[in-house]
Amino acid sequence: MADWRPALAIVEKAYRGAVETQFFDALYSAVELHRQLGGLEVLLRGAAASYAVEAPPVPTLTIGGRIVDTLNDARHGLRALLDAGVAVWVEEPGLAALGPHTRTRLVPGVRRVAAGELAGQWSTYRMVFFL
Amino acid sequence: MATAVPRTDVLLTLMGAPHSSDLVTSCLRMAQALLERGASVQVWACGYATMLTQCSLGATKPRNLAAWGTEYPSTATLVGDLLATYPDTAYWYGCRFCGEDRGAASHIPGVRVQPPWRFADHVASAGTVVFLGVM
Repeated sequence: MADWRPALAIVEKAYRGAVETQFFDALYSAVELHRQLGGLEVLLRGAAASYAVEAPPVPTLTIGGRIVDTLNDARHGLRALLDAGVAVWVEEPGLAALGPHTRTRLVPGVRRVAAGELAGQWSTYRMVFFL
Repeated sequence: MATAVPRTDVLLTLMGAPHSSDLVTSCLRMAQALLERGASVQVWACGYATMLTQCSLGATKPRNLAAWGTEYPSTATLVGDLLATYPDTAYWYGCRFCGEDRGAASHIPGVRVQPPWRFADHVASAGTVVFLGVM
């Protein structure tokens, strides 16, 4: 019998190379995993919690004579995930580490969760993996 | 005959691997900022950083399924742009052993491959040496 439970992808390593990654970051691959695995939820924790906080547009870089305006944009990636129906959670300690005002600047649709709270629910997921 | 090593103001030794942190971005930003201010810069790429300038990367990254018409420059293109924009003050070297050990043997024009035992010559030829990351 098919297992229709969602998978849980934990993202805690962030900022893995703006110029070499550009669009193909962990959140981009999560959209495809959501499609292939038949349902995904994403938990942001650690440094990756900052992805869930609204921020100014990603700046451009000048390298040589070129303006690079295609650097990766985590908030854009999160919105794509949310639009695809992926539940996105962010752990409180990761947010708290960024300052007192982050709770009020969350990307709409992202849900806060206490430290370790989802760990107690791992058995309800089809699989759990780090991304 | 051994390749002559240019005298530069700064040597950026890029040891850390791409796709693991913003180290490569920082290296390119530092190089750009130095070059814009008239300094001369050489980059020595070691380890997985030797893969940044492979010919096989092509001019652009593979297509983005969510933005098919957008072109994303490859790291090889960005390094090539840097070298073309500052032909007299920018240099990019790759460690031969590290590159061959990782299958990165063919690099874009302008990138020079050096045997690892020449690294000391590059250190000696630079006014300041900055190590970025670990292998």
